[in-house]
Amino acid sequence: MFFLKEEAKVITLHPSYFGPNMREYLITRLNEEEEGRCTGDHFVICVMDMVDIGEGRVIPSSGHAEYTIKYRAIIWKPFRGETVDAIVTSVKPTGIFTLAGPLSVFIARKNIPSDIKWEPNTVPPQYTDHADQVIEKGTSLRLKILGVKPDVAAINAIGTIKEDYLGPL
Amino acid sequence: MSSNLLNQDFGSEDEDDDFNPVVQDDSDAEEPKKQTANTSRRGNDRIDEEDEDDARNGDDDEEEGADEENGDDDDDEEEEEEEEEAVGRPRKRRRGGVHSFFEEEAGVDEEEDEAEEDEDELAEFGTEMHPDDLDALPAGAETDDRRHRQLDRQRELDATMDAEKQAQMLKERYGRNRAAATDALVVPKRLLLPSVEDPSIWGARCKPGKEREVVYSIQKRIEERPAGSRNPIRIISAFERGNIMQGWFYCEARRQADVTEGLEGINFYYPSQKMILVPVKEMPDLLRVQKSEDLNPGGWVRIKRGKYHDDLAQIEEVETNGLTVTVRLVPRLDYGMNDDSAAIVDPKRKRSAANTARPPQRLFSEAEAKKRHGKFLSSNAGLGSKSWNYLNDTYIEGFLVKDMRVQHLVTKNVNPRLEEVTMFARGGEDGTANLDLASLATTLKNSTADDSYQPGDPVEVYRGEQQGLIGKTVSTRNDIVSLQVTEGDLAGQIIDAPVRTLRKRFREGDHVKVIGGSRFQNELGMVVQVKEDTVTLLSDMSMQEITIFSKDLRLSAEMAADGQLGIYDVHDLVQLDAATVACVIKVDRESLRVMDQNGSVRNVLPTQIANKITPRKDAVATDRNGAEIRHGDTVREVYGEQRNGVIRHIYRSFLFLHNKAQAENAGMSVVRTTNVVTVSARGGRPTGPDLTKMNPAMAMQAGRGRGGGAMAPPQRGRDRLIGKTVTVRRGRYKGLVGIVRDADDQTAQVELYTTNKPVLIQRDILTPKDPITKQSLDGGRGRGGSRVPFGNSSQSRDGWQGGRTPMAAADSSRTPAWGGASSARTPAWSGGMSGSRTPAWKNDGSRTAYGDGNRTAYGGLGNRTPAWNSGSRTPYDSGSGYDAFASGSRTPAWGSASANTGNRTPAWGGLPNGRDQRDYEDAPTPGGYSAPTPGAYGAPTPGASAPTPGAWADNAPTPGGAFSAPTPGAIPKRGYDAPTPAAYDAPTPALGGTAATPGASYDDDAGPRYDEGTPSP
Repeated sequence: MFFLKEEAKVITLHPSYFGPNMREYLITRLNEEEEGRCTGDHFVICVMDMVDIGEGRVIPSSGHAEYTIKYRAIIWKPFRGETVDAIVTSVKPTGIFTLAGPLSVFIARKNIPSDIKWEPNTVPPQYTDHADQVIEKGTSLRLKILGVKPDVAAINAIGTIKEDYLGPL
Repeated sequence: MSSNLLNQDFGSEDEDDDFNPVVQDDSDAEEPKKQTANTSRRGNDRIDEEDEDDARNGDDDEEEGADEENGDDDDDEEEEEEEEEAVGRPRKRRRGGVHSFFEEEAGVDEEEDEAEEDEDELAEFGTEMHPDDLDALPAGAETDDRRHRQLDRQRELDATMDAEKQAQMLKERYGRNRAAATDALVVPKRLLLPSVEDPSIWGARCKPGKEREVVYSIQKRIEERPAGSRNPIRIISAFERGNIMQGWFYCEARRQADVTEGLEGINFYYPSQKMILVPVKEMPDLLRVQKSEDLNPGGWVRIKRGKYHDDLAQIEEVETNGLTVTVRLVPRLDYGMNDDSAAIVDPKRKRSAANTARPPQRLFSEAEAKKRHGKFLSSNAGLGSKSWNYLNDTYIEGFLVKDMRVQHLVTKNVNPRLEEVTMFARGGEDGTANLDLASLATTLKNSTADDSYQPGDPVEVYRGEQQGLIGKTVSTRNDIVSLQVTEGDLAGQIIDAPVRTLRKRFREGDHVKVIGGSRFQNELGMVVQVKEDTVTLLSDMSMQEITIFSKDLRLSAEMAADGQLGIYDVHDLVQLDAATVACVIKVDRESLRVMDQNGSVRNVLPTQIANKITPRKDAVATDRNGAEIRHGDTVREVYGEQRNGVIRHIYRSFLFLHNKAQAENAGMSVVRTTNVVTVSARGGRPTGPDLTKMNPAMAMQAGRGRGGGAMAPPQRGRDRLIGKTVTVRRGRYKGLVGIVRDADDQTAQVELYTTNKPVLIQRDILTPKDPITKQSLDGGRGRGGSRVPFGNSSQSRDGWQGGRTPMAAADSSRTPAWGGASSARTPAWSGGMSGSRTPAWKNDGSRTAYGDGNRTAYGGLGNRTPAWNSGSRTPYDSGSGYDAFASGSRTPAWGSASANTGNRTPAWGGLPNGRDQRDYEDAPTPGGYSAPTPGAYGAPTPGASAPTPGAWADNAPTPGGAFSAPTPGAIPKRGYDAPTPAAYDAPTPALGGTAATPGASYDDDAGPRYDEGTPSP
């Protein structure tokens, strides 16, 4: 689910950046560092705007300046039970690896409808029910997130397509 | 079996509430009598129906019960229900006729109510077989037709009901009842318990171990003299309790005399010992089956004695009597290799030999058996698999399959070890499934107890009275778990439940850890599927699906810190031997699976590992194209399988790659650096703030080829000692003179005058000499620093920077600042400070600090501050609170100077005015401070110094005011005489030294100076 979240970030600036375009630099830095970041809990999709850049503070003994920037960002936190669209990145006998935006979702064999079978002999290998449903690399899938496992700087999820209205689009 | 009807009536009220209340009420009223009140007609009905049922399915008691009661029940329904009953109880032999008299064993798999059923049956038989038995029934039982009427009514009602509805109702009713009925705790059995009206049970003594024979004898006798014969045996039943009550057997009869009569002359019976009447209360206990051991096929046991003592065995089959078990063992055979072939086979000898040398466990090999023992070997081609008969034992698929008595097996706390279990692995999918589920299900059930439930575990009561409750465990003690109910009406309450009625509850997507004793222990994964109490999870590490019992799982908060064996972790790089490194790809309980640099996979024990290679994150290699690759980069193999992955380890020319999408080898693969190309460098490579990008100054520097903001290394140029004439002060060359030919930091190569050969001499024992006068020149010891003081005063820049200190040392107490800095300033200060300042200087003696402060202010050190702020010294800045340098109030002093030295003013002016001192330090734009230090100082200083001599010389422009008070003219003179007031007593020499007039300074300085300009010979 997407949220608009207000967050604060401390950016440390080398003295050589102290100058007229410091502000722009701070913003660039913020965008560079934040956008696309995964906290283990959510993904930062986009930094919307700065709420407050705040006053810098020179750190004694190093001369760096520390800025606490408050900003608003669009974040995406995947939830269990959320239905997302994803693209298949690889297909293995054990299951299907997909990417839903930045989130990698694995669909285990158990979570694939039993009529969709592993077909290793085709090129590329695919899961198919020998009818209109073919899942191979690059296929778009609609899946439901079953579980989300937070990591230090990544999120892993498993999903299912074993429900109504889920599966290849 | 008669209890079916009874079950209906006695079953928990809530279940029956909605069904046929009229009948219910009616029957409730009758309850107390029902147990024995089976009339003959009813009995006939039942038996007929049961026989029919038996023809179809003999093994499902409860189902039959349902059918019996509703005789017109349709078959479909019945079959469906049978299918639902997934785990059928072991086929129970149908006892009929005379067999029903005997409880052959104490019904291992029967509930106590079945004992009651037997009683009922007996009663029925009685009515059928002999009128004599009628007196065994309570009075009026045979005439009571209430039950029949009730049954008729029921049937009528059933007949009128729509079949489908009826089926549904039945299903609803018995579907639930079934689960309940199987559990001893659920059905209120107290109503089924024997009463005083039932036949009594007498316990009699016999020879220990012969209990069963006695029972058989009784059975035989009853067969010979059945009821109705001339001299019937009136013992209703007889049973024994085997090992539990050795030397006892029990007879059921109405009167003691019947028993005594019936037992007359039975072998092993001790008639002399008194028979005891079992109190009614204790009767149920007699028949209570101690169901301690759940032996299920696939479970693990250990052999108690014999050749296979302590060996692990897998249960192949359990006989229905529960006493004999077919087990599968890994045989210990020597195939006669150790036999003396000439020796006569002597069973005793053989046994002792077996004891002394126990062959190792190995699967049976017919080839080896044929070598020596071909005569003992025969093969039986079975339907499924081929089996071998060897020395009277059967071997199937290499395993010994043997019937053993339960007494000879250890069934509790078996704790199969990994390596033992692996021997039983049948390989392939079958093997894995077999191993895990079976071992978990059976063997470890006994040790479920304490450790598997921990506070906070989500649990579900899946059987027992509180079936269906969902909660979280609060505490556990022994076998009882307290749980806090989280859902339903009881939410919030804390209730106790026995462990065996609980199972852990997981949802799909939960992140769990395997805690049980399976080979998946410590595996982490996410739950993919939950089916009753088996949970399928997807291992984080191997991306494999694992099916496991929920009791062996626990919610895991850990983050992918999978498997660890001691210090070894999955994906660690370990050293196997000097030439081999390997990456751990799997951590089992006792061994590691590793993939070495050549890609071969093997199992090693932790002891076989030399050491763990701590990962070097900064290791660098080059790929095929010569591009740099590092830890964390994604690379792809060019040839072969085109594997790609993220570099986990770099070891010489091998890369260990990790690819999450690869299931085998935990996603690891090994490639050579020369075979890969970079796909992408690690995104998170510490780029940091790119200083060259935004800062124009830096960019320019970068353009000049000097990267970063690092300080330029000191440009030393030629060592100034080279070419100098020196004398050696110490050592074997002491006193000798020579010329320095070469020098470095510590040593100098000196060509001595005497020997004309270059020798290496420590630099610090050399003293420069004037080549002509041979007088010692000071210096030459230090390198950069000590040189400075000897530079002429125009080198004020050096004077400002560190080099001053040695000079201060040389010049006694005088603060070098004054001397090194523009000499012009001194007067300025003195002038600016006028009279009022001087005392201040004198008083606090902080003049040095002032000088220091002067310097340190720019260095950013704080200790200057007090000096500046001490009001006594600098009246002007105390009030303003401004930095003395920055403040305008100081301007008088500087003002004069700045009039002269125009270029210094901007430097100061660049400082933010109006900030207090802290601001000054912390100013976010310390433009003047950190980076540009040399600029700020170096530049103005010479400027200041440049005009100074002028000012000094002609007293001209500035110092008009400045110089007025202290009379500069006087200063030099006094300075040299040292009569100057306190203010100048210390600095005097320095002043002299720094005076631009070398002549004067030489006067002042005792020794001659070693100067740059000094011509060397």
